[in-house]
Amino acid sequence: MTKVEAVIQNSKLEAVKNALQEIGVEGMTVLEVRGHGRQKGHTEVYRGREYSVDLIPKTKLEMVLPDALVEKAVQAILVAARTGKIGDGKIFLTRVDEAIRIRNDERGEGAL
Amino acid sequence: MSSASSLISELRSSLAGESARIALDFAATGDGRAAVAQRTHLIESILHRLWGELVSADQSGPRNFALVATGGFGRGWLFPYSDIDLLFLFANRGDEEAHKDSVRQFSQELWDLKVKLSPASRTLAECERFDPNNTEFTISLLDCRYLAGDRELFARLHDKTIPKLLTREAKPLLQGLAEVTRERHGKFGHTVFHLEPNLKESPGGLRDCNVASWLPLISAMSKLGEWPDGSSLRAPVRRQLEAALEFLMATRCFLHFRHGRDDNALSWEAQDEAAARRIGTSDAAGISAADWMRIYFGHARAVQRTVIQLLDEIPEAWSTLRRQFQGWKSSKPSSPDFSVVDGMIFLQQSSSLRDPEMLLRLFHFMAIHGLKLSATTEHRIEQELPALAVTPPRGAELWLYLQETLLQPHAAEALRAMHSLRLLTLLLPELKPIDSLVVRDFYHRFTVDEHSILAIESLHRLKQSQSEWDKRYGELLGELEDPELLYLALLLHDTGKGVPGVNHVEASLEIAGRCLDRLDVEAAERATVLFLIGNHLEMSAQLRRDIFNPETVAAFAEKVGTPERLKMLCLLTYADIKAVNPEALTPWKAENVWQLYIGAANYLNRSADQRVHDASGEKLARLRSLAPVIGAKFKEYVEGFPQRYLRVHSAEEVMQHMAMAEEFGHDPVQVDLRRGRHWYELTLVTKDRPSLFATLTGVLAAWGMNIVKANAFSNQAGTVVDTLYFTDRFRTLELNLSEWQRFKESVAAVLSGKADLEKMLRDRQRAEKSSRVKVVVATRIDFDNESSSSSTLLQVIAQDRPRLLHRISDCLSQQKCNIEIALIDTEGQMAIDAFYLTSAGKKLTVEHQNKVEKALAEELKSLELGG
Repeated sequence: MTKVEAVIQNSKLEAVKNALQEIGVEGMTVLEVRGHGRQKGHTEVYRGREYSVDLIPKTKLEMVLPDALVEKAVQAILVAARTGKIGDGKIFLTRVDEAIRIRNDERGEGAL
Repeated sequence: MSSASSLISELRSSLAGESARIALDFAATGDGRAAVAQRTHLIESILHRLWGELVSADQSGPRNFALVATGGFGRGWLFPYSDIDLLFLFANRGDEEAHKDSVRQFSQELWDLKVKLSPASRTLAECERFDPNNTEFTISLLDCRYLAGDRELFARLHDKTIPKLLTREAKPLLQGLAEVTRERHGKFGHTVFHLEPNLKESPGGLRDCNVASWLPLISAMSKLGEWPDGSSLRAPVRRQLEAALEFLMATRCFLHFRHGRDDNALSWEAQDEAAARRIGTSDAAGISAADWMRIYFGHARAVQRTVIQLLDEIPEAWSTLRRQFQGWKSSKPSSPDFSVVDGMIFLQQSSSLRDPEMLLRLFHFMAIHGLKLSATTEHRIEQELPALAVTPPRGAELWLYLQETLLQPHAAEALRAMHSLRLLTLLLPELKPIDSLVVRDFYHRFTVDEHSILAIESLHRLKQSQSEWDKRYGELLGELEDPELLYLALLLHDTGKGVPGVNHVEASLEIAGRCLDRLDVEAAERATVLFLIGNHLEMSAQLRRDIFNPETVAAFAEKVGTPERLKMLCLLTYADIKAVNPEALTPWKAENVWQLYIGAANYLNRSADQRVHDASGEKLARLRSLAPVIGAKFKEYVEGFPQRYLRVHSAEEVMQHMAMAEEFGHDPVQVDLRRGRHWYELTLVTKDRPSLFATLTGVLAAWGMNIVKANAFSNQAGTVVDTLYFTDRFRTLELNLSEWQRFKESVAAVLSGKADLEKMLRDRQRAEKSSRVKVVVATRIDFDNESSSSSTLLQVIAQDRPRLLHRISDCLSQQKCNIEIALIDTEGQMAIDAFYLTSAGKKLTVEHQNKVEKALAEELKSLELGG
């Protein structure tokens, strides 16, 4: 099992969600996050006041997937979230040792 | 088999059999009151049998030991799965010790019967002790009832101990009860209008019914020193409570049977089933879940109102904050029509409400001071409603009172009071379809009407908030010219949700249109309200796109059109999300809305010079329909004006400007002056010439007028339309009607070179002392050569001062800059002026910009030093 974390543009959430659903990803956690990578922030001036946008609002998806699905999911996210510009986001993969369903103590990939 | 165990098995089968019969009875009749009485009786009979078997064969023995029902059981209201409150009462410790075993066995047997018991063992002396941390016990004694054992001992508790305890401890007891009640209401956001309410704990639920009987009982006992005869509540209130109780009892029985446990959550599924089974109503016809919930909310509202009124009327139950207020006699608000006693509004003359205007004034007064209506005032209003319903006030007069009320800090409280008295829907029947309406979705927590009022409240609360986001949006609210239009839009934005099966935004637009007719709202304001309602989901929709993409921002800004509307839409979005549920507006979302707002606002100021070329668009179509005869001339007139010109002026205004331009042959300087709601408005239509804007602002400065906003535009044919909005600092125009004509003539005279502007300005300066600066604004001069294709954009931010605009525009004209467009705005002490400049028909070179910047900086410095 692998945990897939993807930080994407807010506007790409719907597209990514649909793409993942299509390849059979059933559940995910969506978080509203703020941060910056190499895109950094910028400063917006409005009526003489400066508003710095150093941490940019982004959307983060988290899901734990059976290994057979991981590469397909990564491809789906890449295609759906890419605009080719700075700020498209990143995907992180982490090995997961165990998953346990609280309701019935089911373990392993069956619990996903 | 021992006799005890045969008794238990007999009791078990009788309990099961009887419980099933009660459930069947309830399923057939739906009578909740009967079901709780039957269950009370069933449990009593079991307790008597056990008492006879385990404690004393004689039901009224032994001496010095009694079995007492308390709480809900004491009241005789035992719901199918409620706990059973029992008190084992002893004369003293020795008796308690002696009967310890039988009490333990008695409780044990009940547990084995699966009867949920909440037992307490107390001596008489312990009952008389008051524990501020356990007010529940003392309150449960208010419903005590004899079951078995020493009758004389129970009589001592009931007739002596309890009255003595209450006389002594009424104050902390009332305070404690009030506190837990307020705390409980707080947990539910102080509103009955939850989509899935808790029948027992929610405001207006069964717990509140009890509080409504306890509060006056404690208060009366503490005064009389004994149990009072009957309730002190007024008959109509008592009837309302009884009806509510009937409904709530039936519904709670239904929920208990449905869930098979003490679960009082009125979920959507339960609402559907309750409606299908017509629980608590005698209507024979079918009823929808939404209508069934309306009946629930109607009862809950009545119960909550009674409880809140009681909490306000009994001084011991006041909140600590309210008690503090009592000391401030001097700040007590008053009016010739209303008096305020202990924070409650009373009428000076009880007959005065026959005048509908007085009624509207009453709620306006309430909205200003945040006070509550006294019970007698509410009663008077209710009496007047039938007469009012025949000819309700409408039109401009109603709108005037409504807008004044909406603008006050406690508007939401006044609206809620009007709504709960059914006055709001009487005045604005358009709100009826959303009255207590449950719309099921995952995010909303409140009914549609409460959501709308909450949205208005969340804007008013911005002013006191300390949070960074609230402060930012609060500043925006302070900048609005017509905030009342925003509040009205919020009140109406979801009315379409009351029309099933259609797009709610479109339905809201149609309903709001009717409401605006009723209020006789003038065309321009009407258009703004409808724009806000029609686009109330637009910003949220944009947030799903890339709001850092300039094209997204530009398309959105084009759709909104003007900065004023953008501000309103932004605040509407903020308030709408905030009123969905307390957590809906995350800082993440607040930041996104703000980013989109700033992006669009900046876009609007940086793209103001896009010219009208294609004669399409809604506004143009409307203009053509207004002026079919002058078709060709119209095209000629409008050609080359910036798009912004058509956005900030209504079709009627454009027509008027055109008519003024037609008069050039007669008089080349056309001036129009009128008084608006917030400021005076001077429109100048003339032929372009050097220094025109500087001269015009100079005349206004010489008259001592303070320019708040201005727009200056010109078309391809060189026709200039300048509009200046100003305040009359010395009330010259307000106090002297004759000065209107002189002022207009003076503008024309200076522009046509017949009067000496420099002399006028010198005279003014001599007469005036320099005004004090309250907030220091740092000067900021920015050039932008990118945003516009043909002009250089200059933004000047500076301390607002008399003559500022004239000095800036004069300086620009000396620096050989032509002002193509001027967008002048003021925000408190800060002037924000944007100019689109050209020199010899081209953008300014960098060297030229530097020269202008230097000259402007010097000019502003000299103005600051009083030069």
